[in-house]
Amino acid sequence: MPIPSPFHERTRALCTSYRWKDWAGYAAVCSYDTSHDREYFAFRESAGLLDVSPLYKYEIHGPDAAALLSRMVVRDVGKLEIGRVAYVCWCDDRGKVVDDGTIARLGEDSFRMTAADPTYHWLLAVGRGLRATVEDSSARLAALALQGPRSRAILGEATGADLDGLKYFRITRARLDGLEVWVSRTGYTGDLGYEVWVERDGALAVWDALVAAGRRHGLEPAGLDALDVARIEAGFLLLGVDYYSAPKVVLESRKSTPDELGLGWMVDLERGPFVGRAAIAAERARPPAWSFVGLEVSWQALEALYESYGLPPALPATARRDGLPVYAGETQVGKATSHTWSPILKKYLVLATVEASRAARGTVLELEHTVEFERRRVAATVVATPFFDPERKRRP
Amino acid sequence: MRYDVIVLGAGQNGLAAAARLAGAGRRVVVLERRDEIGGLCAAREFHPGHRAPGVLHDEGLVDPAVAGRLGLERHGLAWRAAPPVLLAEEGGPGILLAVEPEAAAAELGRRSPADAAALGELRAWLARLAPAVRRLLAEPPPKLAPAGWGDLWRLARPALALRRLGRADLTELLRVAPMCVADFLNERFATALLVEGLAAPALSGTWAGPWSAGTTTFWLLAECAAGRFVEGGPPALAAALARAAQAAGAEIRTGAGVARIRVEGGRVAGVVLASGEALDAPVVVATCDPKRTLLELVAPGVLPLGVEEEARRIRSRGTAATIHLALDGPLELAGRPGERLEAIRIGGGHVDDLERAFDAIKYRAASSSPHLEVRVPTVADPALAPAGHEVVSILASFAPYELAGGWTEAARARFLDSALARLERHAPGVRSRIVAAELLVPPDLEAAFGATGGQLHQVEPALDQLFALRPCPGAARYATALAGLFLGGAGSHPGGGVRPTPGLLAADAVLAGSTRP
Repeated sequence: MPIPSPFHERTRALCTSYRWKDWAGYAAVCSYDTSHDREYFAFRESAGLLDVSPLYKYEIHGPDAAALLSRMVVRDVGKLEIGRVAYVCWCDDRGKVVDDGTIARLGEDSFRMTAADPTYHWLLAVGRGLRATVEDSSARLAALALQGPRSRAILGEATGADLDGLKYFRITRARLDGLEVWVSRTGYTGDLGYEVWVERDGALAVWDALVAAGRRHGLEPAGLDALDVARIEAGFLLLGVDYYSAPKVVLESRKSTPDELGLGWMVDLERGPFVGRAAIAAERARPPAWSFVGLEVSWQALEALYESYGLPPALPATARRDGLPVYAGETQVGKATSHTWSPILKKYLVLATVEASRAARGTVLELEHTVEFERRRVAATVVATPFFDPERKRRP
Repeated sequence: MRYDVIVLGAGQNGLAAAARLAGAGRRVVVLERRDEIGGLCAAREFHPGHRAPGVLHDEGLVDPAVAGRLGLERHGLAWRAAPPVLLAEEGGPGILLAVEPEAAAAELGRRSPADAAALGELRAWLARLAPAVRRLLAEPPPKLAPAGWGDLWRLARPALALRRLGRADLTELLRVAPMCVADFLNERFATALLVEGLAAPALSGTWAGPWSAGTTTFWLLAECAAGRFVEGGPPALAAALARAAQAAGAEIRTGAGVARIRVEGGRVAGVVLASGEALDAPVVVATCDPKRTLLELVAPGVLPLGVEEEARRIRSRGTAATIHLALDGPLELAGRPGERLEAIRIGGGHVDDLERAFDAIKYRAASSSPHLEVRVPTVADPALAPAGHEVVSILASFAPYELAGGWTEAARARFLDSALARLERHAPGVRSRIVAAELLVPPDLEAAFGATGGQLHQVEPALDQLFALRPCPGAARYATALAGLFLGGAGSHPGGGVRPTPGLLAADAVLAGSTRP
């Protein structure tokens, strides 16, 4: 049975669709309305307010806190400046990805980490013998994502803070309705956006203050269905969907290296030891077998396919996670793990893992597509991700 | 200074590894933290003029093949017959258990002809079992995940050797190995004193009582390996090993504690001594405690997380205390007047007394009636004490590493008193003849020898810490996940007791895996 999040009193009142799902043990809204369209367009045109309290959160403190995190993740956390946030992944001893998340440096010896899966025991295992404490702050801290082009104006009004100085992937303290909060310029929509972190007792006050400030900006509460469309447009991976946590799967073929997930850029081998380093270094001696890519399905091909059945093109109304084979000629060369119609790009977008030799941009592959219970294929071209990358996301 | 191999620890295993490696032409240095060689096998002058031959009692385990490979006999090693063991009893002569079957049968037959016959049968079965078991104890443990035909063959060979036992013997082995040693012996013998006395050595240094499952395995391993003693005891073995190592060109440095193992480019580069001095070598063979080696001498983060986790789970709890006594006259038992006995086993007379002695440590208490494994080394070597004096060395079980309330002076005095009171009941007047007494509880043994928990075998003998699981699955075949680091102490297969085989097998692994630089 999922438990209520710190914002449940507000989200429950607004969720007229009664569409909820279990997210990390919490009841989370799929969409407030029967359709997520309005919430999605809030993310892209005004601002959406999303309860992200179910994220796993950890506070790492102590003189060896940076050493602990550097040992755990593939990036050198020691290089992270105070007030900055880093997107990271971490691996097992064999260099296979366990999870991805963010690390914020709150002070010299003080960090906050977010993760998709429970990570407390992993932090403890890595940190044994080091002078660092780990607190699971998942239940103590409530978190809201305020995402969309109007998010800066809304947050600025609510906090009175000058957010122009808060660059992309930075974090700062702020006051909101008399409460101390942390504000980070981060998110999972690939748009201008912020996340607000507050002690759970202050959760409702923060919600109310943001909703009040957002009223004239078109702020909408948003659920996970809208988020899923936005995150695919942004090309973001989702654990358990686009890849699997190495310790949780038995088959080697289900495990991924950072390079295979397109996270190779964050791997820093030229430093002290970290979990999986030797395996990653060895792996790099040969080219990776798989590549995580974006595919854009040819609308002409899709239309022609449906035309052959005498039907107009039809796509699922929500982002989908059912895996689909990807082909080159008669050979299966990969799998599509997330796909969605992008309302803003007017394109059918796919996140897929394909053989590395098929990953060059412009490569034309085929995606399975079922029409009238018949398995057919449509052409899909490898394109760069993020599919949607507005300039405002990074704008100072 | 650059070496081919640095060996950590100049105990029996370190010296054996050095002798083998130097003999194969490697440039070897042995680094010993203490000021003398020998480790647990070193003679200990616990009182002026009184020396105990180390703290290990199970000295019949030295494999003659190992001694042969290292040429120890050329370096002064001599053998002698294992002495009989007296199972002492209050108000009676006890049972003098000789190695020779006829003598043992005659002695036991006076009490119970049935037990004498049963002992004969048991020993005959052991004799059939021994070749296969000795073989297991002479080779590296098999790989748990065999790769290729060679590995499969090595895995199959010991199994085939066991298969040759014949159906009845093999079935019996499979039946009894997981049993507790009390059930195993009670099936065969009616004499309570005999059952307790036979069971006790299987539990030496273990976290187990006679009613603990699997203790029959320890018993079988010890009985099948038992053979001749070394003349002069463990210190003589260490001396022969040191001579063999030095003759082959190995350098031995005492007073050279190692602070950490240096790693460069993901492999061993050498060591840094506590003094700050750095030594270079591409290979380090650590025969000191494996838990400390993996978790303290190697910086955190160097080994894979999984191996570190395994190392943390290694159980190394000391369970016995050592007592050294200097007596101004011979140790004489009331039940054996006038006899000079070298090995005496003193319990309560029933296997349940042994279990009660073990019970205490489960609750972090020291046994109030400890089981005493008594050795009187001056019987064989009077030179260990001034004329007329006696040295008595006792392994007293069970005493925990972590005593509730701590090992205060009062707690030590209490434990020593309970051990001596038990000895006094068998040897009246012995307490008045004590010139000096030394008690080494597990924390003392840890401080003196660097063995985690004061565990005499470095790693507790337990079913999950034997063979391919010793000291942990990720480092059981001497090589570790850190290239160039090998383990070869008592905490590696087939370690524990006076038996330098792990050091030799670790050296073999080094030589098999590396070509001469």
